[in-house]
Amino acid sequence: MDPTRELLDQTLLKIGIAAYVTGALVLFAYFLSRRPVLRAIGMPLAIIGAVAQFAELGARWWMTGVWPLTNLYGSLSLFSAVAVTIFVIFAYRYQMDFIGGPVLALAAIALGYATTWNEGYMPAVPALQSYWIKIHVPIVISAYASFMLAFCLSVLYLFKAAVENRYRGRTIRLRGAAAGGSNANVNVAVNAYAVQPAAVGVLRSDTPGLDAAAASDAVAKWLTSLPSLAKLDIMQYRVIAVGLPLLSLGIITGAMWAKEAWGAYWQWDPKETAALLSWIVYAAYMHLHTRPNLRGTFTAWISVIGFVSIVFCYLGVNIWISGLHSYKM
Amino acid sequence: MEARIRPDLISAATAWVRKAWDDTVRLFAHVPFGVSLLAIWGVLTLIGVIVEQGKDPSFYADAYAPPIARLIVRLDLDNIYHSAAYIGIIGLILCSMAAATFTKVIPRRIPRLNPVKIDAIPLHATIHVAGDPESARERLAAFFAARGWQVRKREFGGTEWTFADKNNWARRGVLVAHVGFVLIAAGTTIYWAKGYSGQFAVLSGQTATIPESGTKIALQRFGFRIDPVQTKAGTVYQPIDYVSDAKVTGRDGVTHDAVIRVNQPYDADGTLIYQATYGFAIDFALTKDGHRIAGPDHPLKEGEGFAIDGTSRAIQYQRFVGTIDRTTGQPGADPRPNDPGVVIQAFDGDRPVGGALIPLGRPVDLGAGYRLEAARYVLYSGFQYRYDPGIPVVGLGAFVLVAGLCISFYFLPARLFVLVRDAAGGGAEVGLAATTVRGYEVFEQRFAEIVEALRRSEPAPQTEVTTAPVTQTV
Repeated sequence: MDPTRELLDQTLLKIGIAAYVTGALVLFAYFLSRRPVLRAIGMPLAIIGAVAQFAELGARWWMTGVWPLTNLYGSLSLFSAVAVTIFVIFAYRYQMDFIGGPVLALAAIALGYATTWNEGYMPAVPALQSYWIKIHVPIVISAYASFMLAFCLSVLYLFKAAVENRYRGRTIRLRGAAAGGSNANVNVAVNAYAVQPAAVGVLRSDTPGLDAAAASDAVAKWLTSLPSLAKLDIMQYRVIAVGLPLLSLGIITGAMWAKEAWGAYWQWDPKETAALLSWIVYAAYMHLHTRPNLRGTFTAWISVIGFVSIVFCYLGVNIWISGLHSYKM
Repeated sequence: MEARIRPDLISAATAWVRKAWDDTVRLFAHVPFGVSLLAIWGVLTLIGVIVEQGKDPSFYADAYAPPIARLIVRLDLDNIYHSAAYIGIIGLILCSMAAATFTKVIPRRIPRLNPVKIDAIPLHATIHVAGDPESARERLAAFFAARGWQVRKREFGGTEWTFADKNNWARRGVLVAHVGFVLIAAGTTIYWAKGYSGQFAVLSGQTATIPESGTKIALQRFGFRIDPVQTKAGTVYQPIDYVSDAKVTGRDGVTHDAVIRVNQPYDADGTLIYQATYGFAIDFALTKDGHRIAGPDHPLKEGEGFAIDGTSRAIQYQRFVGTIDRTTGQPGADPRPNDPGVVIQAFDGDRPVGGALIPLGRPVDLGAGYRLEAARYVLYSGFQYRYDPGIPVVGLGAFVLVAGLCISFYFLPARLFVLVRDAAGGGAEVGLAATTVRGYEVFEQRFAEIVEALRRSEPAPQTEVTTAPVTQTV
């Protein structure tokens, strides 16, 4: 290996890790303080990190001629880069920048962990020498990355809901104004019209109690600076709505590849079935989300369980359970 | 005696059956019930991931505590994906999807074109625009039509309403996704009914036949490439290529040259032949007191063995060793046949009595005048074959499933209710409300964008956006 090229690879990797770690700290500070200047610093760091990572993967491809996703190092690198990219897109489209700290922290952890699997520049085993690796792996990794973002939002949702309950004593149920708005006696400051119509309740946590407490309580004030629970719920939904079709497509392209490589599109391999398990969990999430009375805390927990299943599918099966997908090196 | 059934009994029975049917359909269409089925499916699948499948009962006895091992075998958890419970739960899910699709998803409609109380709808706004209501209505209709909304006007009690719909067709997305799922299940069923698959190994220079299709595969040569790669952890021997050069004779009797690699199957009359594995078959030579005696009549593959005539002993060829480490006499790391040997195991009856690593071409003394030599190796290639007429249906189902998901998630059916009236201070007042099939939160940002775009496109007088009050009910 050309030392200059190897230096380029290592430099890009270090830039990526440094940008993620710094960006995570800055965006965590933004998460807590909501000072715009921190956002203005943190978001470019996230972009720099992702760009450096994509460049690093591209450099490996260029240097070795081997598609860089043939091992756990490459796929984890792509995972963190795509997670940050999806975060940046959603941050600009749906004002999701407040979640950048946790996302970048997880991306940095994933990338750091990836380096422990970096054995250098390895040629691909015959099973991975297929054009499908350029289709199937990025799709699946993008699905995993989407679910990571959804996981961060779900944890924040559950945290906010739990803390708000302390201020309120219990979760209240808000109903939309009845016909004519005749019973309008409480105005909710944030997201006032994001409620269901009359007779259909939706769990929310924007409470007058919280608004009142915000005047004297720093935690309450901080909570009111975050999006409402209803908005956090919709944000999770939007991200999972990206992840689930990607996971479906990933399973389908994986099945097509398996058909070409192993003669059967489905062999009940642990990886296949673990992916199916994750698909089932997120399909359950989507079905439960159609029920207004189940949206919120319950679906947020399903999202958390879904990401646990993704981690199990992605790392657990690769590392601990042997099967057709055990390409650890 | 002629038996008569009373008409009231028939009608009572009919009513009972109808009620039972309605109750069953309602239960299966109930989302929490469907999700419960998904949860059970998920748990069964998780068990299948954790518990190794298709092993011998003795494997579970060794790997798990006795009660768990017994549980695994007795509950069929060792073959869970083909168990009645697993197939049954998938069947129930399909029924649940069908019930939900036909009783809930398809009938779900955007409300009829009726007037509404604008400010009673959570997503609403009021805008003051210039001009008389009639001209404002025309401008608004043009505004929405230019943005892909289907605009319809209706008059109710002398008041003209404008309704704008978008993506109304997309409410069928769930139906499309469910149809995709059913197609995948149908395609899989076609394979079970009409397809076949199997595997075989063929030595270089020999011919094998696929029994179901009669296709003949004559293996000319098998080649492999394994490269030493220097990694941070040391030298790793990385497989690079496996390739079988064969001659394949199909049903028409015509022979074709075939190069079969991993990821590059060969299609013989619709039956795909896959490069699956390879190995080293060994020619064993057995002598007694220096004379050749009957041994195996063909090269043995890993796991095969032979009995030594006139004794209770047998020899099993366990595995091939590419390189014997000369310093230790043990198997080396390099799998390529540099200084090869074979690991054999001797049995007396069913009882193992000892094993050894013997170099190729060097006889080993078995005692009592017997000597065994692993004379040479012959490469063989392992193939899988599969004929699956359900593939096109599965592929179509997969496409339909993803299309259905995309339609469901990315095309939100929405309706805008627009009421234009004379404003008190001149101009017109535009009341605007929105509803969707998935509630209001999901459309909140889009609605704000629409209102903002409308505000920018409309001439003054000034605009004002109000939001609905809400009531707290504890």
